[in-house]
This record gives sequence, C-alpha cells and structure tokens, in this order.
Amino acid sequence: MAPTTKRPSNSSWLNVLSSLLVPGLGQVLQGERTRGISLFATVIVLAGLIIWQSLSVLFIPLAALWLWGVWDTLQRERGRPSGPTAPFLLAALIVYAAGIKATEIVPRRIITGWPNIQPIVHALVRPELLKHPTEDRIGYLPLQVPCIEPLPEPGENASQEPRLHTNVRCAGMGETIILEGEGFFPEFETEIWWRNPIGDWQKVIKDGIPLTVVTDAEGRFQVSLQVPTTAVPLDRLPGPGETQTHRVEARQHKPYGSLQPTQTLSLVLNKIGETIALAFIATVLAVIFALPVSLLASRNLMWGNPASRAVYYAVRAVLNIVRSVETLMWAIIFVVWVGQGPYAGTLALLLHSIAALGKLYSEAIEGIDPGPIEAIRATGATWSQVVVYAVLPQFMPSFLSFTLYRWDINVRMSTVIGLVCDAGLGFLVIQWIRLSRYNAMATAIIAIVLVVAILDYVSAFLRQRVIEGVPSVRRRGWFRRYAVPAMVTIALLALFVWSWQVAQIDIATFVTGIPDGLRLASRFFPELITRPTEEVSVSAALPVPCGAAEPTPQPPSGPRVNLSLSCASPGDPLVITGHELPPNTRVSVRWLLPDGRYLRIQKDCCDTDSMGNFRLETKVHPLLEVNPQEEQIQPGGVAVVWKQAIGGPRPSEALTTTFNLSLVTLLMALIATTLGSVVAIPVSFFAARNVMGRSIVGQAIYNFSRTVFNLWRSIEPMILAVISASWLGFGPFAGVVALALNNIPNLAKLFSEAIEEIDAGPVEAITATGANRLQTLVYAVVPQLIPRFLAYILYQWDINIRMSTVIGYVGGGGIGQQFRTWVELDMYEAAGAAVLAIVVMVWSMDYISGRVREKMV
Amino acid sequence: MLRVEHLTKVFPDGTVALRDVSFTVQDGEFLAVIGLSGAGKSTLLRCINRLIEPSAGRVIWNDIDITAVKRGELCRIRRQIGMIFQQFNLVKRSSVMTNVLSGRLGYANPWWTLVHRFAPEDHIRARNALDRVGILDKADSRADQLSGGQQQRVGIARALMQEPKLILADEPVASLDPVLAHSILQYLEQLNRQDGITVICSLHFLDLVHRYASRVIGLKDGELVFDGLPSELTRERFKEVYGEEAEMVTVGGALAA
Repeated sequence: MAPTTKRPSNSSWLNVLSSLLVPGLGQVLQGERTRGISLFATVIVLAGLIIWQSLSVLFIPLAALWLWGVWDTLQRERGRPSGPTAPFLLAALIVYAAGIKATEIVPRRIITGWPNIQPIVHALVRPELLKHPTEDRIGYLPLQVPCIEPLPEPGENASQEPRLHTNVRCAGMGETIILEGEGFFPEFETEIWWRNPIGDWQKVIKDGIPLTVVTDAEGRFQVSLQVPTTAVPLDRLPGPGETQTHRVEARQHKPYGSLQPTQTLSLVLNKIGETIALAFIATVLAVIFALPVSLLASRNLMWGNPASRAVYYAVRAVLNIVRSVETLMWAIIFVVWVGQGPYAGTLALLLHSIAALGKLYSEAIEGIDPGPIEAIRATGATWSQVVVYAVLPQFMPSFLSFTLYRWDINVRMSTVIGLVCDAGLGFLVIQWIRLSRYNAMATAIIAIVLVVAILDYVSAFLRQRVIEGVPSVRRRGWFRRYAVPAMVTIALLALFVWSWQVAQIDIATFVTGIPDGLRLASRFFPELITRPTEEVSVSAALPVPCGAAEPTPQPPSGPRVNLSLSCASPGDPLVITGHELPPNTRVSVRWLLPDGRYLRIQKDCCDTDSMGNFRLETKVHPLLEVNPQEEQIQPGGVAVVWKQAIGGPRPSEALTTTFNLSLVTLLMALIATTLGSVVAIPVSFFAARNVMGRSIVGQAIYNFSRTVFNLWRSIEPMILAVISASWLGFGPFAGVVALALNNIPNLAKLFSEAIEEIDAGPVEAITATGANRLQTLVYAVVPQLIPRFLAYILYQWDINIRMSTVIGYVGGGGIGQQFRTWVELDMYEAAGAAVLAIVVMVWSMDYISGRVREKMV
Repeated sequence: MLRVEHLTKVFPDGTVALRDVSFTVQDGEFLAVIGLSGAGKSTLLRCINRLIEPSAGRVIWNDIDITAVKRGELCRIRRQIGMIFQQFNLVKRSSVMTNVLSGRLGYANPWWTLVHRFAPEDHIRARNALDRVGILDKADSRADQLSGGQQQRVGIARALMQEPKLILADEPVASLDPVLAHSILQYLEQLNRQDGITVICSLHFLDLVHRYASRVIGLKDGELVFDGLPSELTRERFKEVYGEEAEMVTVGGALAA
C-alpha cells in the first residue's frame, strides 16, 4: 500500500490554523465531526481536571495534545490519517497524574505503614480458636520512680501470696533493680509486666525480647531488670521533687484440663448464625415483595395502555434508584430510623434485594417466549393451565437462579453490614480492630472468608443444578414424592422462624415508625442551591438613665425601629415597634449594650407581618445602664437584625463538596481498576488450564492459583478497607488499595476464563505460516484477548464505582466517608446531596460502560 | 517432491490416528485425501507441517526431512507451506488486511511485526493477494463481518502471502454451500495450474474429487486404503473407503458420502 501524499492547499491551511485556535475545530471543518468534538471535549475536561488539582505542570501534556490536534489536521490534509495512540496516552497521563494527586496516593506509606498492620498479618495465621483454661498466680509490688527525699509511702500495697521483693524501694528510669519472687508454681514460666501510674500495662523487655523467668523447685525466682524508660508518656513525667507509683507484676498462667473454645470463638459462631439468618430472612422476604413488583415492571405485561405504561416507568425508575444506592448506605439510613442492631441491617438488605430481584424477575418475565403460551392455549387449556404448563416452566429456572444469586450476595453483604449497624460478623471485626484485639479480629475475618467461600460454592452448585434443569418429572416412591419435600419445607420453615427471631424483626415498631421515617426522608431532600446572605440591622438609641446621652432621632421612613420611650431607667416597660422591614421575615431583636455587645431580648422573636411591621413589649434590661464612672458617650439601644440575600443563588457547600468527592470517587475506582488489572493480567495465565498444560507442575500451579484466587475473592472489599485504613491511614489511598486488592483475584479469575476460551484455530493458522511463538502470541492470541479483557475491566470499574461509594465508611475516603460524617452530624440535606450524586454517578457509568461493552464484544 | 514414509501417530490417550502411512506427491499434483470423519485426514495434513508431531515415520520434502529439523528451520519450512482450514481460522476481530499480512510473519522482521509493522512491499503483496481472490474492497473490514465464502478467500490470500510451494487444505469447503465450494476450489485449481503450487486437499464430496483432483488417496481408521487416479475411484472402491453402509448421495449437484 503506497501512501498517497497531497500537498496542503490554502483552505487546508485554514483548517490547520483553526485547529490551532480551537482544538478539534479543524477536524470538524474537515468533516470529522465526532473526532473534532471529542477532541474538544477531552481538552476541556482535562483542563478542568488540571485546574481542579492545581497541577500546572500538566499543562505541558495538555498543550502537546492540542498540538497533536493541529498535526492531525495537517496529516489529514495530506491524506495520512493518524492513529489514536498518541492522544490517548497524553490524556491518560493527565488523568492518572490528577487521579494520583486527588486520591492522595503516597507509595511511601505502603512501607512506612507496614508496622501498623504487621500484628494484623501475624494474627491472621493465629486465630483464637481453642485454649486451655488456666489457673493464674500473680504477684505484684509497688515501686516509686524516681527516688526523692523523703520517700513517701507508696499509694498501694504489695501482694501477700505469692510475694515479690526488690532490693530497693525506689529507682530512677533505666536503673537496674533485682526482683525476687516466692510462692509461685514451681518450675514454671513467669512473665514480668510493668504498669505505669496512668494504668497502662506493658511487658518488661530485656535484651530486646519480653522477659520471662522460670521458677525453681520451691517456686522462687530472682531476676535483674531495668525500669522501662518508655513507661511514662513524656507529658505525664513527674515534676522536680515528685515521684510516681509504678507496679511490677509477675504472672503465671498454668493450663489445666482439656481444650475449650475461646470466648472469641463462641462469639464468632454466634455471629455466623446471625449473618446467615439475616441473609436468609432478607432474601425470603425480598422474594415475596419482589414478585408482585416485578409484574409491574415487566414491559410485556404493562405495555397495553398508557396508564399501565406510566406505572411501568414509575416502578422501573424507583427500582433503579433504590438499587443504585448501596446496601451499606441504606443500612446507615435505617440505623438513623430504627436504631443500631440486626433489624436495621435486615431492612437495608431487604430493600436493596427487593429492588434488585424486582428488576431481575421482570427481565425473566419479559424473556418468556409467547410461542409455547399460544401453543398451550391452542390445545384448549384454561388460564391456570396456561400458567402452569407454559409460563412457569419458562420462568422457574431464571427465578430460582436469580434468587440463589441474590442469596449469595446477601450473605456477602451481611458479613460486612455490621461495619455500620452492629449485626453479624462485620461488627466483630470493626469492634475488635478498635480494641486492637487482632487475634480475635483475625478469627472473625477467617470466619467471614469461610462462610462466603462455602456458601458461594453451595449456591454455585445449586444454580448449576437449576440451569442443567433436572426436569421434575414424576418422582418414584412415596418417600421421594412426599416425605423429602415435606422435610425440606419443615426445615425451611424452622430456618425462617429462627431467622425472624435473630433478625429482631419488629413490624409494630416499623409501622408506628413510618411517620418518623417519612419526616426523616423529607430531611434528606438535597440542598443544592443556597443564596449567600448578610446581616442588616437598624437600631434606636435608648439612654439609660435619662440624661446619660442625647437621644438620636429616627429617620421618618425606610426600615426603622421605634421605641415608646426616648430614655428610661432599668425595668421600665418598653414597647418596641419595627416599621417597613422586609415583610414576613424572622428578625432578631436585641439589646445593644453600651459596651458594644448584643443581648437577645426574647427567644423566637419576632416575625414581621405582611407590611413589614412588628411589635414587642418588654422591660428595659439593667445592663443597658451607662456606668457613670467610665464616661461613656455611646448610649445603649435596641437593634433589629435580619438576614438579607445578596447576589444570585449559588451552589451550596454540600453540592461543591459532593461534586469534588464524586470526582475523587471516580478516580479512585479508575486507579484501583488499573492497578488491579496490571497485576491480574500476568497472574491470570497461571490460572488458565490451557496455558498451564497437563504436566504435574502445571496442574499444581493451576490448582494452587485457582484456590488462592477463590479464597482471596471471599474477602470483602470492606474488610480489606478496614485493614488498609489502619495500614495507610484514613483517606482515598486506603480505599484505592483495598479495591485494587479485591480486584486482583476477581479480574484474574475472569481473565483466566477468557484465556481458556481462546479459539485454537487462529493460533494453529498463524503457527502454520511459519511464525515464531512471540509472533503467534501477538497475531493470534492477543487480538482475541483484548476485547474480552477490556469488557471485564469495564465491568470491574462499574463495580468499583459502586463499591467506592461505600468504602469510605470504614476509612476508605471518597464520597462514602463524607456521607457517613454528614449523617452522624445530622446534616441530612447534605447527605441527600451525596445520595443524589451517587445515583447520578452510578447511572451514568452504568450507561457508558454498557454502551462501550456493547460496541466491543 | 513430498515423500511420506511409514507415518504413524498415536495420541497420548492411546488413539491411533495414523498407522504406517506412506505415499509420494509429485510437484504440481492436486492430491485429494478422502475418508470418514476421524479417519486421520486432518492429522495427516498437520503431520506434514508438524503442527502435530508424528510418533514415527518421516516426511521428506525436497530432500529435507521435515520430521528431523530444529525449530528455527521448521519455521523456515512452514513459511513455504500454506495452509487452509475448514473453520477458516481467521482472527475474527482483526481486520482482513491484518489477517492477510499475518501470512507474511515467517518472512518479515520478527521485531517490527510485534508492533504491526510490515514492509511496503508486503502491503502491496497483500493487496494483490486480496485482488486475486476478488475481495480487495473488504480489506479494511473486520474479518467476522464477512460471509463464510469471503472468509475462506481471506484464508487463501493469507496462504498466498507465504508464496507457498505447497498448500495443505484441510476440508476447505466443508463449511460452505456447494456453489461456494466450487468457487473456492477453482481458486485452488488456478494456483495449482498457473503457479504450479502442489495442493493436498481433504475433501468430502466425490464429484469435487473427480472434478479437481489429479490423484486421490483414501484413509480408513488411519490406514491408507486407496491410492490412485480419480477415475479409478469407482463405487466399489468408494465403499471400501467409506464403509459398506455408505451410499453416494447427491446434495445440490454434488455427491457426498
């Protein structure tokens, strides 16, 4: 193909010049409207990003992008269209640079924060499951630090049995003392602990490790140790000539009897039950509500007349809004309504499930083929027979599959819903991390992973059964025909009743709480626009006592305040009237004291009438009196103050904050998806059966990576966020890392499935042309993978946007963190703005990624 | 000249796909390979360019033992052997042009091809190849937007890019309707007659064998059961290859087993 080169003509130079003036204009003039407009829009959006993050250095690549537009126009005039790689890279550079700044990514913190999560990581391999009950022997002794003259009596006593001695009664910090003990268990390990005057405990460290001694056969020991220099915080050190009472303690824990589950374990087991119960009850109730709703949301049933069509649109819209607000967000709202506890969690799960299932069921109904219905009707069947023989057989498989799928999601959600509402395993995690009980927390996290992984497997198994569709033809034998279904029904009923109890469902409270709920909901009406105001006042002087100063005359018209007295003594009755003030407005009427301070005369006063007048009767306040000693010339008086709008309406602070944080949230999702993909692409090849081959090593790698990905996937992103927030500090960076860590196994699994589904034909054909392995990879494998990988990445981005709206509840930054803060501060109208932003964001991203995926696959 | 000597292929699961097959193909022949599905036709073709490693036996082409050469040498041999597939084996999401150019991979600079760069002569060659099979106007379309017959012509163009001395065609028309089958085989015939390219082609339809092949071999359960001229392939010999129950049936003017 010989490229044809034309020489640019005069009009071509005009196009090139217009590209220089306005990016994209040249392309539009050349007839490439989409190209020109998207270039223009890109430049504008990127400029906005740069200004928003005030990263002026990025104007260089932006200028390069602009120049590329000019160059592209020129090349086009010469008949050599250029590819989109260069502008794409430039735009990506700007977006990622701005994103890294907006999400506060500081890679250094990954290293510096490591000590913070080291105990957590250690704890994960040592969960608290079983332990021996112990018999404890503890001896303690007070010690005064530092020594002073005279030494006061210590503030506490020493233990009698067992007993401790030291060679001194007092010591300075870092001094070595000799500790002796008697009356302990013989030949048994003893830990030495130190308690500072504030009451904090620490282990005594000797030679860099915690000090333990072993008693002799008589139960005695002797050991030298240093008074810990770190025992007292710097701001609590004793002043000169003071001393503080410390305590040294020797502890023995002798186990006896058999292993018993720890309290942690029984608590975790209890909460596993609660988690499953919540998911179960929410799913069952959601099915009951979603079925009728889905009928109203089915196009084929509601398309008949305009009225039902309107109902269809309304129901669809409500379902979509409810769905795009995450379950955890609903949980926060329900906590405000019905209080902490499993009940709020259940309601949140239920509401979100109804919306999700309603949509899925309605799609199943819309997918029903009218052919079989016609055929059954043609046999002369009744309406109910048509339903049983033509409608249900088509609907049931998707119904069962969707319900199981939702149950799966509800189990996952109910493990983390406790992070906000005191229910299920998530609550234990958040509680124990706050108490730094890492081993206990690890137990809860492991429980979450197991519950999710097992129920994932069960539901996948059941769904597979449903899809394969073992047809329920007549089952043989009365046992299989009646007894098995009866037992299953009884078991499900029992599970339902138990779950109902656990979830603490209280219909009465719910019904009586409806007015409260509606009032609460109305306060969520987002405040988007405010008008800035300034305070305006008019005043009238009132000299107290008479003669203290000259009264000032009031203007005859305009806003003014008139007093019934021109001068007064304290306690005199006074009538204050306001005239020609703004009508129907709340004004504040205040004493203007001689020293310049204000004092509100009466609470909740006063409202002007439609003419702008008001009248208030009161008594003259004693503080108005002018102090004759201080030769004040300014008399006191009465001021009327009201707020007056200045300038036009402008976006409220909630709106601008929400807008900023929405951008941060989008960028968080983008960067997390990118990080996740970059790691997932190479590792996904280890989990692809066709890549790993049939050798023993290959099989082992395949099975190992599959297992790791599946277990890792079971760790909910919210749990990862809890951990990464204590690793990297609160903020969007923690959220990005949590999401990326969650994306790696998810994407790796999807990618490996895409790799396994590569069509071998083209690979064979390219190999047959004599291409080498690398060429075969580039020409036969990569073109097959790219579109599917991109589709999965977009899908993950979509999920990440949803997740990043809630990941902030536990310290992951973004809009979620702000939402929770606003709710906790009762700033509901701001929280409403956040909800609105999330709905808009989720909808638009849903739409965009849907369109892009449609195009690519 | 291609000599296949005592070729045997046993798959790891124990299936014997080829059992001691020997035959010779002279340069410029159009050899048809017939046999039931699973008789070993595809395996035989793939053993010739070693897409499948034979278990025993030799394939000797112009005095080079293909079965013995090393990997680098194998690539140089493969690039002289074009291959056409039943399922066309195009990269569906790539453009027609890219698919055709990929036939040149064995010749082009391996590093430049990794970023999709080909020499200008290769572009010209690709356009000529597409022109020759009559679909030059589709050069910028995506491969999966083409019909089956057009896709197979892209497959032929890709093979042409290799400037092959031998073309292996694995049931090239089995996925196409009879009219298209003729047009595809006419292209192969043209290459065979005009360019002197040797063609080894597995076929299912007996009348296509009679019409295009200069020689026929028949495989049954991996064994060579027929080797002769198409005119020698009578109804009786045909039944030997395809089994006693086989009847010649006419589909759209073509005879099929």
